[in-house]
Amino acid sequence: MASDDSLPTLKILLIGPSGAGKSALLTRYCDDEFDPESSAATIGIDFKIKNLAVRGKAYRLTLFDTAGQERFRTLSTSFYRGAHGVLLVYDISSRASFLTMERWFDEAEANTVEGVALYLVGSKLDKAEHSREVSSEEGQALADAHGANFCEASAKTCENVRRPFVDIVDQIVQTPGLLAAARRGRAVGTLAVGGGGGDTGDGNGYLGCAC
Amino acid sequence: MAMDFSSELSDTLWDVVICGTGLPQSLLALSLSRSGKNILHIDSNDYYGSADAAFSLQEADDWVARHSTTAASSTSVFKSASITKPENVAGLSFPRAYTLALAPQLIHARSELLSQLVSSRAYRQVEFLAVGSFFVFKPSSSPALAPTLVRIPSTREDVFSTTAISAKAKRGLMKFLRFVVDYNNPLQTEAWQQHADVPLVDFLRAHFKMDAELQTYIITLTLSLDGRISTRDGLATIHRHLSSMGMLGPSFAAVYPKWGGISEIAQVSCRAGAVGGAVYMLGNGIKEMTTGENEISLELTSGDKVRTRRLVRGEETGGDEKAIARLVAIVNSPLKTLFETMVEGAPKPGVAVVAFPTGSLASAGEIDIDCPIYVFAHSGDTGECPVGQSVLYLTMLSSPDSKNILHRALESLLIALDGEQQRPESLYHLYYEQAGSSMKRQQDGLIFGFPPPSLSLSFDDATLGPVREAWKVVMGEAGADYMTFPDREGYVDDDEMYD
Repeated sequence: MASDDSLPTLKILLIGPSGAGKSALLTRYCDDEFDPESSAATIGIDFKIKNLAVRGKAYRLTLFDTAGQERFRTLSTSFYRGAHGVLLVYDISSRASFLTMERWFDEAEANTVEGVALYLVGSKLDKAEHSREVSSEEGQALADAHGANFCEASAKTCENVRRPFVDIVDQIVQTPGLLAAARRGRAVGTLAVGGGGGDTGDGNGYLGCAC
Repeated sequence: MAMDFSSELSDTLWDVVICGTGLPQSLLALSLSRSGKNILHIDSNDYYGSADAAFSLQEADDWVARHSTTAASSTSVFKSASITKPENVAGLSFPRAYTLALAPQLIHARSELLSQLVSSRAYRQVEFLAVGSFFVFKPSSSPALAPTLVRIPSTREDVFSTTAISAKAKRGLMKFLRFVVDYNNPLQTEAWQQHADVPLVDFLRAHFKMDAELQTYIITLTLSLDGRISTRDGLATIHRHLSSMGMLGPSFAAVYPKWGGISEIAQVSCRAGAVGGAVYMLGNGIKEMTTGENEISLELTSGDKVRTRRLVRGEETGGDEKAIARLVAIVNSPLKTLFETMVEGAPKPGVAVVAFPTGSLASAGEIDIDCPIYVFAHSGDTGECPVGQSVLYLTMLSSPDSKNILHRALESLLIALDGEQQRPESLYHLYYEQAGSSMKRQQDGLIFGFPPPSLSLSFDDATLGPVREAWKVVMGEAGADYMTFPDREGYVDDDEMYD
């Protein structure tokens, strides 16, 4: 595969209410790990990177977690910038969790570019048998209402864990203009501020040589 | 798994509560983001950025409604805010297509702020654009002619090739520039130190025999609000400009963060704080405060009660110094002539500067300006307006007539820029006044207060000192490396294929 830096980079966000299992899904997908005891808010994860090939073409996914800013709904507009896709995650064993999703859709739609790929995920599918509070049909209907795709998944059993990520990448690359729209401006005049780029300064532009 | 956040708030003894999300408070959150401290970061506004915020048109409406009073306010540095939309001019896009910055400051390449953003790794989430050409507005010499913009030469080659100034003036300019690059050399300080407190314009005239035009170029580069910057401060500012030139790429000295300038840095810094475990609440301020010997009890406007070892907040009122007036205009033209690259290989600038020098806005029956007006022009590449439009930020020292004057300046500028197919027209105006203050940072026992925001048009590194002091206060003896962190992201290398 080509070196990482040359891959097209997709920015994908995971949003949704606290305790929906966003981080569990992310950690299972990226690291194939699941900690049944971990229910605390996520600390220390800015984003994870995963390379993925869909339809024979490789992409570099940057997967952004909410870093706890979903708790009091304080995600910033800058968090949403340049996003190609948004995974909206709720817990199928919590109706309260599902009921917040309309607002999360509103926020995602308001802060992203037109045509952004939206994908609704009902998590904790392993609880379906004993404590499901939201039917699969309800999830599908909400997704349909927002032009989103939908699936249910379990980070615990691994069922369907890869599917939302693969599907949303497919959705992104099948949407004409989305890659360019979300990247708008990154190509235009964006500077390399951290190391490299430019000379060492000292007024070189003005006074290159003694004269 | 519903969590009870209220009890978490009240059960925790916080190491620090940070109040306000302006740049200083946000940088403090960034600086503490790997400290392991328990941090609660709140803002009484329901948006990030405090006085450094950036707004969609909808948010601007809400903000103006709260800052429209013309009386000096005891709770805000802003007043006299209003929005007007010219009739019969179509083209304004939807409200979220715009991000209007309250603090559209330029950041010089040599600013310590950039170094800290790089060493703390926060810069990865910010996109910077080059600040390109500086222009000076020249009124027309006869009523039949349009006013023009003269570009200030930005490189040595530029100085030689420009036809705007005479050969004699070029020699004078080059002599001055060489002097400034080395102005703190003991051999040079003698020449200026006895004049350190006189206005730089007088020093330029007396020592470099500069004519009024060249003086204007130099003063424009200082972005001095009253045009009377002292020789000491002026030389330091020009030196910063020259030594920043070329540092991050050819032919520019300063940068601007896309999507609203300082606001974006504040948001990214808060995100870094959150990643480090800080708890964020917006639309929640301090209602009551009781200070004990070792901790402070706060009642928040949400009703939550919290206890903290330290409180860091920002002063949001001012008024003992001159105020500025600002007009933000959305224009239905890309104003391409402002954003041309002048040197091969230079990045496309997203920002240009136009100065109206003192006395350049004469018109029949109107009083001329006795201080400069600075216009920051932002292209659609800044993300602050749709591509094909521009945002103009006009700033001057506030006077009873400044709203009218800024509108006249805007009109004159659009006439000077009328060279393209369609005469540029403004679609939207946001006007406000912002009070200045000489207040310094304050520390009173367990409470630390940042000074009110600077009115400077370029980022003032003096803003950073109090942030570091606040960091020391919170960290105590444990503080070692300030703002220096490794990257966080864990790279995952295994590749998967799906067809």
